[in-house]
Amino acid sequence: MPQVKIIAKNFMDMVASLTAIKLDKLYNNVFICEAILRSLPPLAKKYVLQLLFIDDPVPCTRIEEWVLPDGLSKHRVAIDRLIQLRIFTETVDRREGTCFSLNPTFQNNLQKHIISGGVLPREPMNSSNGIKLPSLQELETYALQQWECFLLQLINSGQGEKLTGISSSMMKVFQRGLLSQRDRDGPRLTESGFQFLLMDTNAQLWYIIREYISNAEERDVDPADLISFLLELSFHVTGEAYNLNTLTDVQRTTLKDLADLGLVKLQQGRKDSWFIPTKLATNLSVSLADSSVRKEGYVMMETNFRMYAYSTSKLQCEILRLFARIEYQLPNLIACAVTKESLYNAFDNGITSDQIITFLQQNSHPRCADRVPSIPENVTDQIRLWESDLKRIEMTQAHFYDEFPSKDVFEGACNFARQWGGLLWEDSKRMRLVVKSEVHNQMREYLHTQGN
Amino acid sequence: MSDWQVKYKSSLKDRGTEGILKLREGMLLFVPNDPTSDSKLKVLTPNIKSQKYTKEGSKKPAWLNLSNKQGDSHIFEFQNYQDMHACRALITKALAKCEEEQPKKPAAVLTSAEQLSIADLELRFKRLHKEFVETKVLTEDEFWATRKKLLGKDSIRKSKQQVGLKSMMVSGIKPSTDGRTNRVTFNLTSEIIFQIFAEKPAVRQAFINYVPSKMTEKDFWTKYFRAEYLYSTKNTAVAAAEAAEDEELAVFLKPDEILAQEARQKIRRVDPTLDMEADQGDDYTHLMDHGIQRDGTMDVVEPQNGQFRRSLLQDLNRHAAVVLEGRNIDVDSENTRSVAEALARVKQVSKADGETTKDANQERLARMSRLAEMEDLQAPQNFPLAPLSIKDPRDYFESQQGNVVNEPRGAGTLKRNVHEAYGSLKESILEIRTKGLRDPLIKPEVAFEVFRSLTQTISTAKNIIGKNPRESFLDRLPKSTRDEVLHVGKLKDAMSNSYSQLEAMKESVQSELRHQLSLLVRPMQQALDAAFQHYDADLQRRTAKSARGSAGEANGSV
Amino acid sequence: MATVASKLYSDDVSLLVLLLDTNPLFWSNRSTTFSQFLSHVLAFLNAVLGLNQLNRVVVIATGYCSCDYIYDSSLTLSGNSESGRTGMPALFGSLLEKLEDFIDKDEELIKEQEHDERIASSLLSGSLSMALCYIQRIFRSGHLHPQPRILCLQGSPDGPEQYVAVMNSIFSAQRLMVPIDSCYIGTQNSAFLQQASYITGGVHHAPKQLDGLFQFLTTIFATDLHTRSFVQLPKPVGVDFRASCFCHKKTIDMGYVCSVCLSIFCEHHKKCSTCGSVFGQSKLDGASTVSDKKRKAPDS
Repeated sequence: MPQVKIIAKNFMDMVASLTAIKLDKLYNNVFICEAILRSLPPLAKKYVLQLLFIDDPVPCTRIEEWVLPDGLSKHRVAIDRLIQLRIFTETVDRREGTCFSLNPTFQNNLQKHIISGGVLPREPMNSSNGIKLPSLQELETYALQQWECFLLQLINSGQGEKLTGISSSMMKVFQRGLLSQRDRDGPRLTESGFQFLLMDTNAQLWYIIREYISNAEERDVDPADLISFLLELSFHVTGEAYNLNTLTDVQRTTLKDLADLGLVKLQQGRKDSWFIPTKLATNLSVSLADSSVRKEGYVMMETNFRMYAYSTSKLQCEILRLFARIEYQLPNLIACAVTKESLYNAFDNGITSDQIITFLQQNSHPRCADRVPSIPENVTDQIRLWESDLKRIEMTQAHFYDEFPSKDVFEGACNFARQWGGLLWEDSKRMRLVVKSEVHNQMREYLHTQGN
Repeated sequence: MSDWQVKYKSSLKDRGTEGILKLREGMLLFVPNDPTSDSKLKVLTPNIKSQKYTKEGSKKPAWLNLSNKQGDSHIFEFQNYQDMHACRALITKALAKCEEEQPKKPAAVLTSAEQLSIADLELRFKRLHKEFVETKVLTEDEFWATRKKLLGKDSIRKSKQQVGLKSMMVSGIKPSTDGRTNRVTFNLTSEIIFQIFAEKPAVRQAFINYVPSKMTEKDFWTKYFRAEYLYSTKNTAVAAAEAAEDEELAVFLKPDEILAQEARQKIRRVDPTLDMEADQGDDYTHLMDHGIQRDGTMDVVEPQNGQFRRSLLQDLNRHAAVVLEGRNIDVDSENTRSVAEALARVKQVSKADGETTKDANQERLARMSRLAEMEDLQAPQNFPLAPLSIKDPRDYFESQQGNVVNEPRGAGTLKRNVHEAYGSLKESILEIRTKGLRDPLIKPEVAFEVFRSLTQTISTAKNIIGKNPRESFLDRLPKSTRDEVLHVGKLKDAMSNSYSQLEAMKESVQSELRHQLSLLVRPMQQALDAAFQHYDADLQRRTAKSARGSAGEANGSV
Repeated sequence: MATVASKLYSDDVSLLVLLLDTNPLFWSNRSTTFSQFLSHVLAFLNAVLGLNQLNRVVVIATGYCSCDYIYDSSLTLSGNSESGRTGMPALFGSLLEKLEDFIDKDEELIKEQEHDERIASSLLSGSLSMALCYIQRIFRSGHLHPQPRILCLQGSPDGPEQYVAVMNSIFSAQRLMVPIDSCYIGTQNSAFLQQASYITGGVHHAPKQLDGLFQFLTTIFATDLHTRSFVQLPKPVGVDFRASCFCHKKTIDMGYVCSVCLSIFCEHHKKCSTCGSVFGQSKLDGASTVSDKKRKAPDS
């Protein structure tokens, strides 16, 4: 899933793009150091561990010595990333050449973390205080429910009833880029919107979180604070209750939004209220790394263009509806057909055939995934053919000229249009020509001068 | 030349000594297996007068009887007929060779000693000496010892030829009739009597038993021939009737018990490795004598009186056996009884021989079957499968452990320390539980040093393998070659330098002088050109070689 | 193994099974104390867990008489709050607690064993088998699992009596394609560990300075299998391939080998004690016993 990587890297880029002061501030938090470490490429992780207890700068050549020729590109990527994140500080030694040392704050925190072990960011509440905690399973279903709800609302905010507490302005922020506003029939999913739907939950989550963070300054919240809180959150223990009193005001308001996304579950007791992180929250730091967690597929495609999806999810039904006609729905099965009309609809929305095919391939049922190809060839071919059908005619806005006074004028006009790269068609016999609209103004001016 | 594992018998009665028979040039050597045995033997090939051997089909073992000119006979019992035949063939060849040589010196052989001049004798002897001693067939001592023996024997040389037997069969003794009466007459000579006794041990036994206590010799023979006559008439019914009346007569009519016993014994001695297949194909076995009576008439089978019939084959075989055995008793007397007794004695002895050698025989058979294993005579070879004796792996490992326990390890002192050791271990854990991990965990200098040394080992390992891509081609060459290449490169640079200098020199001088200068310079330039050419060719060759070499090196290291 | 491979995470997610040598006889006469050693090891475990959220660590204590699981990161993730009070993180708390129990039990066992003549080796074969069992369970459960590897932290000398069991474990690991890394901190050389790492494609290293153990561990042994494909790790110069005989458990470099089951003996036997095959008498007995023996010499 290359898209996932793009998103994850984008997030890291975002972290990297923070100013030095803010980055150093981030590294003051042990959990951020840990999360950043986890997000690094494997080779970079190794470098950090190697230098963890070394204070003196280490020559680059000495690090490179360990890498086999095949891994040199990986080595360069790892070093680049480490410098970008200001984890490695580059110094030039006259004798040894380029040397690296770890960011002292980062190094100290990581050392502390490793020596003192995984100290929790905050103490969970004592479970004896009459708190009835939901079981892990309940929590997971809750989280997924919340998340799907949110996504549904995201896709079709027009007709969808308001299920989540996310403000419409906030929703707009999320929808930016994913949906395109059209005059006639409301918002439509864009290409990236469809891509978004194809991603796995964690990647989607990170996309949303990124939007949320980039939007932070508009809400007078320091993005660095937000990042550190989110990363910290990922180190909480799933299913444990944490008192809201331990949080700052900003964090508390953030937490409310996160609850809507299904990251935490908020509960109210008699005296105080608390939050319970769900798996979505604790997995936040996982998705940062390149390692992606694959989900099991649910789609079976038949050679007769019928498609069966073993899913109870409304969201998945909506996704399928983007390019297929839903015929009927059983409690755990969605039966649909891929038709020319449904696909034209999808192409109309800017979804490409390749996207649809990769989606089908990635989400094919385990039984089908074992087969090669997992999607019948006639189906993939037909999808591509229908798409190319639509691309046979290209519309170009143009202007038509005729009734030229003389052959010379006509030919001069043709040459002029050719020079501007706007000549589409010419008929020298009847002295007619068609020119792109872009060139129309220049053409007109030219003809005026000729006329005079 | 050739060796055979044989048993040597000085006579038929001898039990024999096991040993190795070697056929060397001009002589036969017998070396007993038992070094203490004194039956070491040496027979000069020219001395061999005749060789007799048992026939392959006979029930006797593979015997080769060599008699030399002195009249001594040596019997060698071979393990099988093949060996015997091989040996025989070689001896025959050797004999033939001797005979060829003989005509060259007819005087020496044919004339008696007294006719030879002393000088002749001496010459001949010298030649013999030369022949044997110098060819190392005999040692000096052996030669003279043999000579001495021969001289001693010369004086008592007297041929003691055995009298053979007539090849006429006993049953072939036809009675003469006078033509008028029914009376038939058998003419009996001592020769015939001997033959009868030899061929029919039962008759011999009967003779010893009945004569003269029960009947006279004449009566005995009358009875015998009456029985024979009855046989020849083929009237088995009459024979049976008479046998029932007269028990003495019955003795002659019944199949010979003693013979049968001997036959059984011989059968037991038959080499089990014998391939019986040929006989089976011959299809004789189920036909009784092919149905031919001894006088050539066809036999009418009368099964009820079968025991009074004798088969032609039996008679023939028996006769042949007796002829082969020869007249091995020295009793020349006319006394029939003494002949019978002597014969019986001989048989007794050989029988006793058979008894005592039974064990040895058994052993021999076993050994033979081991040595010459034939597939179709083998017991099935599929040995029962022996499953792994590990039934319970736990048991197995525990038993293995047990072995170790018995091994003293000299760790007795440890025992006392064990509990202290556990104590300190627990203390350590307690310490870390209360104090936490050591902080700082590791000194930066130590960490740096460790990392540096590890990197060092990595880089040296890399260089050894030579996989480092940054290493130039030069680095991979052996040091000497590299130096050479570097040196050559320097030289080449210098040369091209001087080349350009020469060019510059040419340019710098005035035109009128240029020609003269170029004349001067040309040889130098030519020399430089040649050097460059040589360098290029050499470099090409070198790179090709080193490329090949490095390819080979890579293959080797994989 | 295709099915196994396809079930792996695509990246550097790893399952580390650490075999910790807790042989008291080894630690009693060592300049580095066990607590120092533990500090390095625990920090290393923490670092491994920190590298990836999905990383898993299992620790098996290799005692003198027994061995046992003392830590499994997938079980203790929920954490027990009471260890927090003693100032110890959850990981170390539960691990140390279990370790203490284990050592108590081990001591009980040694009291029961009256014969005390054994060489001061640890029960490496036992812990190796347990590690392989655990990995096998991981392989069979679930559709995704981390890439497993085994790390032996061994200080005690080899127990030649465990030769068969250890070699069997090594070959099982080879079949499962689980590399056995080995870090030997003892004074002698461990032929077992050298062979284990050599056969399974793991890394064998014997650190010289124990005060820098953490650095050794992180630099060499923290490298996950994914990274190993493009990183050079130290290789031993030679491997000690010597075997132990089955009869007396002596380490030998020349001996007799059963032609049926390949059992190794230090002297001529009439019958193979492993498979029961009867050996024929050597024809040239005595004259050329040396040539009959198969040499298993250290490869260098």
